[in-house]
Amino acid sequence: MMSFLQKLFGRLANPSKRKKALLIVSGLCITAGWSINLLGNSAGLFNTLMIMSALVAEVEIARRAWQGLKNRHTNIDLLVTIAATGGIAIGVYWEAAAVTTLFLLGGWLEAQTMGKTRNTLRDLISMAPDTALVVENNKLLELPAGEVKEGMLVLIKPGSQIPVDGIVESGTTTVDESAITGEPIPAEKKPGSDVYAGTINQNGSIRVRARNAGSDTTLAKIIRRVEEAQDEKAPTQRFIEQFAQWYTPGIVGLSIASYLFTRDLELALTLLVIGCPGALVISTPISIISGIGNAAKKGILIKGGEYLENAGKVSAVALDKTGTLTLGKPKLTEFICLQREKVGAGIAEVQQSDDEISVVSASDLERQGWPDEVTELLYWAGIAESTSEHPLAGAILSEMPDSLDLPQADYFKSHTGLGIEAAYKDNQILVGNAKFLKQRAVPIAEDFNGELEQLASLGRTTVLVARNGMLIGGIGLADPVRPEAREMVQKLKDSGIEQVAMLTGDRQSTARAVAAETGIMEIHAGILPEEKNDFIRRMKEKGKQVAMIGDGINDAPALATADIGIAMGAAGTDVAIETADIALMSDKLLNIPESLMVSKMTLRNIRQNIVIALITVAALLGGVFMGSIHMAAGMLIHELSVMIVILNGMRLRML
Amino acid sequence: MKTTLRSNDLSCPTCVNNIESNLNQTNGISGAKVHFNTGRIEVEHNPETISKEKLVELVRQSGYEAKISQF
Repeated sequence: MMSFLQKLFGRLANPSKRKKALLIVSGLCITAGWSINLLGNSAGLFNTLMIMSALVAEVEIARRAWQGLKNRHTNIDLLVTIAATGGIAIGVYWEAAAVTTLFLLGGWLEAQTMGKTRNTLRDLISMAPDTALVVENNKLLELPAGEVKEGMLVLIKPGSQIPVDGIVESGTTTVDESAITGEPIPAEKKPGSDVYAGTINQNGSIRVRARNAGSDTTLAKIIRRVEEAQDEKAPTQRFIEQFAQWYTPGIVGLSIASYLFTRDLELALTLLVIGCPGALVISTPISIISGIGNAAKKGILIKGGEYLENAGKVSAVALDKTGTLTLGKPKLTEFICLQREKVGAGIAEVQQSDDEISVVSASDLERQGWPDEVTELLYWAGIAESTSEHPLAGAILSEMPDSLDLPQADYFKSHTGLGIEAAYKDNQILVGNAKFLKQRAVPIAEDFNGELEQLASLGRTTVLVARNGMLIGGIGLADPVRPEAREMVQKLKDSGIEQVAMLTGDRQSTARAVAAETGIMEIHAGILPEEKNDFIRRMKEKGKQVAMIGDGINDAPALATADIGIAMGAAGTDVAIETADIALMSDKLLNIPESLMVSKMTLRNIRQNIVIALITVAALLGGVFMGSIHMAAGMLIHELSVMIVILNGMRLRML
Repeated sequence: MKTTLRSNDLSCPTCVNNIESNLNQTNGISGAKVHFNTGRIEVEHNPETISKEKLVELVRQSGYEAKISQF
């Protein structure tokens, strides 16, 4: 009979189909057996059908057990094979059939549900189209996406997926980048913007100069990174697998011992059936795959189970200021103007006077238009700054009105930490801090100094402008705080983080202004990157589990020292994706509390699963020894516990 | 060369052992690693001795269905 069945099912080479077919046949035998049993009282036929069912299901199980033995390891399949064969031998046919069929059914259901969880990422993989339209000599060529070379020009039509990473060469559009950043709001793209494979072009046609294709794209790196993270075993998982290594042989020993002691073969076989640590070994992996997969969909890349466990225990958070709490791009906030008589347009001599100083805010001016004093201030500052690469220069230049045509400076010299001196025709221009102007003997009125101090207390950086030895005004700049920073800090506190600290190399006054705006109580300003590192080490020594959040490049040492290093805005910066424990693909600050929350929930989920698994094992052992659980029920409860653990883990996909 | 297979068929972490052992004992394969969590099977092999398709066949013989994947 065995050889006949093997011949029949040997044709079913596809293991998935074979398992399904065997499962259906053995299930049908059981159903038929019980139906006949209900209709008449044919014990012979009932037993035959049950034996058939057990043997059909055992074909697959015994095959795997034998392969395991050949490879010199005992596995669950071996335990089930011994139990079922033993069951048939001692005449408990229904129990033997139930054990094997339930075992196959459980395995099939587990593969299905695990497959669903694994598919979270497969959605991402399918975001990348297979082909790309390449423009070559004014002709369109359809190439496999992976074969597009760097520098090729790719046409992307509206509504289609972008096949490569690259830079927009012509055309404007909006692009749905949720696959990369998790950000649902489409991003505007114009010539010079970066685009990523796997994102969706919405309304415009664009041409993109390819940079990376195939497995070198950001999307491929994300997928690889997430998969490595999911496969990396968390400490709990390693511990459990070690436990399982002696648990199964332990149960076999217990089974033999109990037979020698009680001479009850069925009891011994039942012990074998419940000896599979199924729910326990799957408790951690299922939660971690779900948790990491779900986070990836939101643009949060967690490096692995170990980091997820650490992030779930965070009790203190240290934040970098520039570029993390703030946008990292200074903007003009105020102009300090010196009143003067209007003489013509623009470039007139300033009549210096001590009591005619006015401070106007840049946001007010945006509504009212620029007065001449401000235009003039920007004009002279602009000539000097246009050759500078200082970030403040960029901020000043970006605010230049289009109507203002800036001439090239004839002479230019930068003084690090002070400012810039420049010459244009017969004008000597100085742009810099108060110290710089004082060094050059430019008189600064008492009232003007007062205004500077006032602005400094608001956290502004000030730049003074002088022409031909006379002060003509000042510009206040600030790096705006991200709008969601306050909510983020509040969420961290709400989630039970005891300590939220800001670490910055910037001045105390600026740091204090940002702290006031975000609700952070603890400030460490004017510190060097090494001092940030020391600070985190001290926090760890005090027994805190510390998360450090920064931009991933300047803060790299502190990110590495912290228990969890979180890098912001990682899309496009490979370094951050590779090195940070958690990389946030977008600049969305709220993803910081979100990532800690996902970690915490995953950690909790793992614990729930372990508790479910251990309680089941204990209850089963107790039940077996008290004689209230036999083979069939033992297998049913065991498989049910595995399913409960898997379903519980899958809840994390819905966070 | 390194070939990645993907299986949606792995139901328990212990079944990984069979697939790994069967692959590792085959001529032309210098290393095989099965990742249960993601269902990835990474095989380092000599394509002249053993083809990608043969790898799929070997995983089948261990009782699991797998497909060749780009990455």
